[in-house]
Order: sequence, then C-alpha cells, then structure tokens
Amino acid sequence: MTPHSNRAWLLLLPAIAIMGLVAVIPLLTVLNYSFHDIFTLESRYWIGLEWYGEIITSQRFWASLARSALFSAVVLTIQVPLGIAVALLLRSTRHPTLYLMALALPLVVPWNMIPGMWLTLVGPQGLVGPSLIAAGFDYKFTALHTWALIVTMDTWHWLGLVVILSYAGLSAIPRPYYQAAEIDGASRAAIFRHIELPKIAGALAIVLLLRFVDSFMIYTEAFRINAGGPQGATTFLSLDLGEDINAYSYGSAAARAMTYFLIVITVVWAFVQVTRRRTP
Amino acid sequence: MSAAARTLALAALLIFIALPLVQTVVLSFTATLPQDGLETGQFTLMNYARIFDTPALVASIGNSFIYVTLNVALCLAAGLPAAYAFSRYRFTGDRHVLFLMLAFRVTPPVVLSLPIFILFANLGLVNTPVGIALVHCVFNLPIAIWILESFISAVPREFDETAFLDGQSLPGFFFSKLIPAIAPGIGVAAFFCFIFSWVEVVFARILTGTGGKPITMAINALFSFRTDIGLVMAMTVFSLLPGVLMIVFVRRHIARGFVIRT
Repeated sequence: MTPHSNRAWLLLLPAIAIMGLVAVIPLLTVLNYSFHDIFTLESRYWIGLEWYGEIITSQRFWASLARSALFSAVVLTIQVPLGIAVALLLRSTRHPTLYLMALALPLVVPWNMIPGMWLTLVGPQGLVGPSLIAAGFDYKFTALHTWALIVTMDTWHWLGLVVILSYAGLSAIPRPYYQAAEIDGASRAAIFRHIELPKIAGALAIVLLLRFVDSFMIYTEAFRINAGGPQGATTFLSLDLGEDINAYSYGSAAARAMTYFLIVITVVWAFVQVTRRRTP
Repeated sequence: MSAAARTLALAALLIFIALPLVQTVVLSFTATLPQDGLETGQFTLMNYARIFDTPALVASIGNSFIYVTLNVALCLAAGLPAAYAFSRYRFTGDRHVLFLMLAFRVTPPVVLSLPIFILFANLGLVNTPVGIALVHCVFNLPIAIWILESFISAVPREFDETAFLDGQSLPGFFFSKLIPAIAPGIGVAAFFCFIFSWVEVVFARILTGTGGKPITMAINALFSFRTDIGLVMAMTVFSLLPGVLMIVFVRRHIARGFVIRT
C-alpha cells in the first residue's frame, strides 16, 4: 500500500518551478494572445474568439487537418506493425544489441539534417537517385511521390524507437510462458495475441502517443522536402502555423497554436481514458 | 519464418538504415565545390579540415555540448526527486500533475515558440546555450520523470525503509543508496534526454537568431546560393558522433522498457 503524504509535493518543487517557467507561463501567454488582434506587442486589441471563428470556418484549416490526420494514420499503420515485426525478428537473432544500436542511429541525427540526407540520396547524384529517376520518381511535382518520400524518411527516422520499446516489452516475458504455450500447442498467432501483445501493450501506448504527436505536428522534415508542395499536397498543420508566424500575424498564429494544442490534448486525454480502463 | 528469409529481412533492414548514412559519409569525404585545386567528386579530407578553420563551426560544437549537458543535468536533478515522489507516495493531485506532464511532453514546440522567445528575451536568455537547455525541459523533464519512476518502482520499498531506519536523511539516501541502485535508469534517462535535446531544432532556432548557435543552426547557416554540400555533410557526420557514443555507452540498457504513468 502506497502511503498518502502531501509532503511529497515538496519533492516536486524543482520540477514544477522549471515547468512553470518554460511551459505554463508560455502556454497562458499564447492563450491570451489568441484573443487579441496584435499589431505590435504593445498595441493589441481584445477581439474575443474572432480568430478561432476565422480558423474553423476556413477551408484551408480543414484541408491541412485532413492531411495531417492522414499522415499520422499512414505513419502509425506502417511503423507500429513493422516495428513489432522487427522486434520479434530480433528476438531470434544472436546479436540483438548490434541491431538495436543500428536502429538507434537515425534517432540521434539532428532533425534539420534528415531531409538533406534523403534529398541527396534520391537526387541525381545520389546512391539510389539515378535508378529511381529512371523509374519515373519525381518528388517535386508528383504528390504521391512526395508523400512516399516523407513517409519513408519518417519511417527511417523513427522505426528504431518502436523497435527498441517493443523489444523491451518482449524481453520481459519469462521463458516458461513460451514453454507452456508450446505444451498447449498454441499457434504462433495465439502466442502473439495472448502472451506477447499484453506484455508490450505498455510500451506500445508510449510509442503510439509519441508517434502520433510527432507525426501530426511534423514540421522541419516535411518543409525541407518540398515546402508543402506540390500544390499544397504536403502542407500539414504546422506548416500553416509557420506561415502565420513568418507573416508576424501573432494573434492568428496564437489562435492556431491553441487550436492544435486542444486537438492534441483531446486525443491524448481520450487515449489515457481508454488505457486506464484497460489496466485497472 | 525460414532461416534464409530471416537473414534476408535483416539484411534489407540494415541496408535501409545504412543508405542515407553511407551517402552522408561518402559526401563528407568528397570535394563538392571546385576549390583548392581539387576537382569536384575527388576524395578529400578538406571538408573536415575546413570545420576547424571556421570559427563559427568550432564555437557551435562548444555551444551544443554546453546546452545539452546542462539540459540533461537539469532534467536529472529535478526529475529524480519528482520520480521518487510519484513512485513512493500518493498525494492530492498526483494524477493531475502526471497528466499535465504528459500534456507538456506532447505540446508541439511551434505552439510555445513565440512566447518562449519573448519571455526569454526579457530574461536575457536569448542567444545563450542556457536558454536552450532550459526550454528543452518542456519535453525532457516529463521523459526523465517517467523513466526514473519506472526504475525506482522496481526497487522494493524495504530498501528505503532500511536506510531510513539506519538514520539516513532523504538527500543522503538519494546519493549513497538510490542513485547507485538505479544507475542504469539514470543512464537510460540521460540517453533519451540527450537525444531529444540534441536533435531539436524549433526552439534552438528561435532562441539563437544572432548568437550562441548550436551545431544544428550552424549547419543551417551554411546553406546559401552556392552551398558546399561536402562541408555540410562533414559537419553532419560530426554532429552524429556524440549520439553514437551515447548509444555505445547505454547499449546494454537501451532495451530496458519504461511505462508512462498517468
């Protein structure tokens, strides 16, 4: 039984002080800005919910939202099953650590360098560019190809995280579980469904959350590949926001930022409710 | 799956991971602009030599190390007591604080970038590595707390009680008993804080407009109408080395899981 003690709050003080400064105050500031029309930071006018009204009635917002949602869906559908499959595969290799180290490499590459590396790779002078171009690959003007490139790049970048966390869950399964399943004559699918999946559920929850928010708000990588093109086909939510900020339209940028924040928090909250119900 | 299919799948995986990296390393050893009597496409070490001839690039390496070390230290120092509190006690509002932590971990940096800039400009924290170290706590402090909490919860409660019965104070217990007992957890937390901070660019860009640039922003500044891709790639390779070292250090513990408590 865990003791109840409100003195534990004292232990949280350093963390709360830091988060207050770098997270709570800025978030409240954005919230405040989002209700204002801002010419300069000194001269601003209260306009209530006008920015929000403008955003949710604009075609552009819904189109970007749909693109971002689709991108997250594609990324999760590819990376999560693939990551679990690789983790299962690594369980049966002799040097799993070496593979895990290789898979962790893309995670340490600065985000603004990743598009450059991929553009060089698929460019006319690159290692795979010439054969791709010969096969008709054209990421600059064909929307499907731009999408394919961004999804492939994102999978390269993040597959390691899915594998590492799934592998951790799998390693925690005691060997007797497998032996028992073998005696019962359980199929491979049944072993996965009843032994392995429950064990990696906790890790998968983290993976799903982190991959959802990072893909939903993808900015640097997507922008560098084709600046949201061709014809806006890869203009995701954060690219719209970037345009507002670059245009010094702070009030509208703040309202947009708050809207995104609310979407993300709603999804995360719903997710937490579901996982809490499953694990009493 | 047959042994052959398995080998094939693993080989394909390794090639997929390696391709962009190989491309980068190859270009970093290639002359990509005609200069110093070298023809483009020739093998050269010049790109690496030029890093050290460019003061802005050398300074950026120092800036990156300062901010990332400071960030990891901050996250561990503030995260450890918080993780201990969540692991060992129930208290009023604990679940709300945990959810808030999760909320801040998933807050997109672009959402906060503008007020962070204004706030930090007022505090004199712009164009210094200290500002970046602080702001990266937004997403790293929650991560540090979750990881450390998992590892502390794996230590039986009797371990603490014995120490307290021996008359040890809480800080004394932290340093002499708890930290050694969860050393792998500290390593894993430091690893994840390091990588998320090292690769972040949105906050790093907005906070270092004119000075204190880390490696990532120094690389950005290399792009012009006549970019020396070889130099960019050499600097990219350089920016990978600390991460690779970190991976080597924590390789045994990398696959030790952690769970988010909400």
